[in-house]
Amino acid sequence: MAKRKHPEARIFAVDTRFQRLARRSGGVPREQAIQQAKGEVEKAKVGFDDWLDSQVVELGRLLKQARALEAELHSVERANFHSRELRDAAMTLGFELISFIADSLCAVLDSAATGEYHADSVDCHMDALKLARQRGYRHLKPDQVPELTKGLNRIAKRTST
Amino acid sequence: MTTPDINLRDLVFLIADPSSYMSMLIHGMLRGFGGSKVVEVRSTNGVLQMLTNQKIDILICDSQLPPHGGLPLTRAIRRKRDNENRTVPILIMTRDGGEKTVKLARDAGANMVIAKPMSPAGLYDRLAWIAFHPRQFVDTATYFGPDRRFKIEGYPKGVGRRKGDKAVDIAEEAGPALAQDDIDNLFNATRTGQD
Repeated sequence: MAKRKHPEARIFAVDTRFQRLARRSGGVPREQAIQQAKGEVEKAKVGFDDWLDSQVVELGRLLKQARALEAELHSVERANFHSRELRDAAMTLGFELISFIADSLCAVLDSAATGEYHADSVDCHMDALKLARQRGYRHLKPDQVPELTKGLNRIAKRTST
Repeated sequence: MTTPDINLRDLVFLIADPSSYMSMLIHGMLRGFGGSKVVEVRSTNGVLQMLTNQKIDILICDSQLPPHGGLPLTRAIRRKRDNENRTVPILIMTRDGGEKTVKLARDAGANMVIAKPMSPAGLYDRLAWIAFHPRQFVDTATYFGPDRRFKIEGYPKGVGRRKGDKAVDIAEEAGPALAQDDIDNLFNATRTGQD
């Protein structure tokens, strides 16, 4: 990137309230703080089942709508939002397979936003998501179901080209 | 190098994330760290409204926050001259932690970037970094924000400093810029309660 000089630049020190207060002694020691934070994240897992179900239902509704309206952009964008939300939350909570599938669905929906809507690819991902939300699959990692992950990778790759 | 402990008691956090579930997870992490004052918003307008009405100590903001996006919002906060929160620390959360995104966030005036999904350790260490590595602010015609040359900071007693360091090299502005009128409109709309 081209650079240029700005001799008129004003440079000054800033010590915000955040910085001043966060540096005080007496805070929760790092390791303890991280353990407590992990405990809080674990607590959030209690409500994950219901949330996951509602997300999958909403995703299904939006994708059906997108298909009926020939990839109507608003529905695709909303579906992509839910898919991203699912991806991030599932990974944070340690549900890696669900996160992997949601991530792959995001890639398919990203390409739909700018190009063609691949309904079959979307359906494959929704089927995979419905499978992965079941208790027997939920805690699996992507490399424990290589057939599924390879298949989704192939679909996502084909869709984005 | 070990990360020093931080004390988050009495600090006010503003989480700006379109997802209520992700917001709840981040809120939980902050509670685990000892932070008790956390407010949440779902939009850029919510952030501006909150910054207008309440003292916020740090903003943790999603890069894709609707409707304007976290980076244009950061730029607007930094550019607004009469904004008392102009120097508030801003931590940008992004799903794409690639170099390009990090650079765009830095050029918008963000203090730090964290990739989503985030771990408690990752979040803690970035907060500690912001607290213990305060950076000077640079104010030019095209940029207002933390000194973007932070990689060279921390050298003891000037070791490694460049000759003529006072003449600041500023990268050309990157990404969509907001005109002053747009920034004013954004703040004015918030003040008058419009979305």
